[in-house]
Amino acid sequence: MKRKTLKVVNPLGFHARAAAKFVAEASRFDSQISVVFKDKEMDGKSILGLLLLAAPQGGSIQVRANGRDEAEAIKALTALVAAGFGEVPRA
Amino acid sequence: MIGILVVTHGDVARELVNALKMIVGEQERVLALSIDWEVDVDVAKGSIGRAITQCGRKDVLVLTDMFGGTPTNLVLPFADDDVEVVTGVNLPMLIKACQIRNRPLAEVAQIVCEKGRESVQIAGSLLKPGGGA
Repeated sequence: MKRKTLKVVNPLGFHARAAAKFVAEASRFDSQISVVFKDKEMDGKSILGLLLLAAPQGGSIQVRANGRDEAEAIKALTALVAAGFGEVPRA
Repeated sequence: MIGILVVTHGDVARELVNALKMIVGEQERVLALSIDWEVDVDVAKGSIGRAITQCGRKDVLVLTDMFGGTPTNLVLPFADDDVEVVTGVNLPMLIKACQIRNRPLAEVAQIVCEKGRESVQIAGSLLKPGGGA
């Protein structure tokens, strides 16, 4: 299993459209993917699950991937979160 | 893949589907049908029948706003093995339905019903450490 801790950078946090983009990206991979925020771990392929994390801007989330394509999954999801889900210009 | 039809009073259905598409993107065979307040029953039943056909006729999940309300009552005669009706539609139910629409209709209806109930939360208690979910 691979894990990566990331900061949520977009102003709206892990909201509905962001969660939908995350799930669309995560679903491209066979690996089991989850996201941890505070004491909650949610399925990275479920929009409603990710919304329940209620991770705001500045929140520190951990993305976990387990499976044959876990390295690629972490890389792609890291890029998506770091880019503020495409909502904020890169610094 | 199941078809999804949202039927409500007023414009609620259309706006729910608009919000859904903003979140998950365009979806095939997901339709909204608003039942006018001054509804003619036969006209409304005709619209519902056509909408179900547009959703694929077989394996159509119909989400209505309120059990006992006119939209639900008008939809119920269409319920059979190919058309499942779930009441109390909300945005989380719609999102969930779109994410699992390749599963069998009865299973989708069951999961959507459960997710709809789970999605109603007192937000404050959910945000407390160790609370909710």
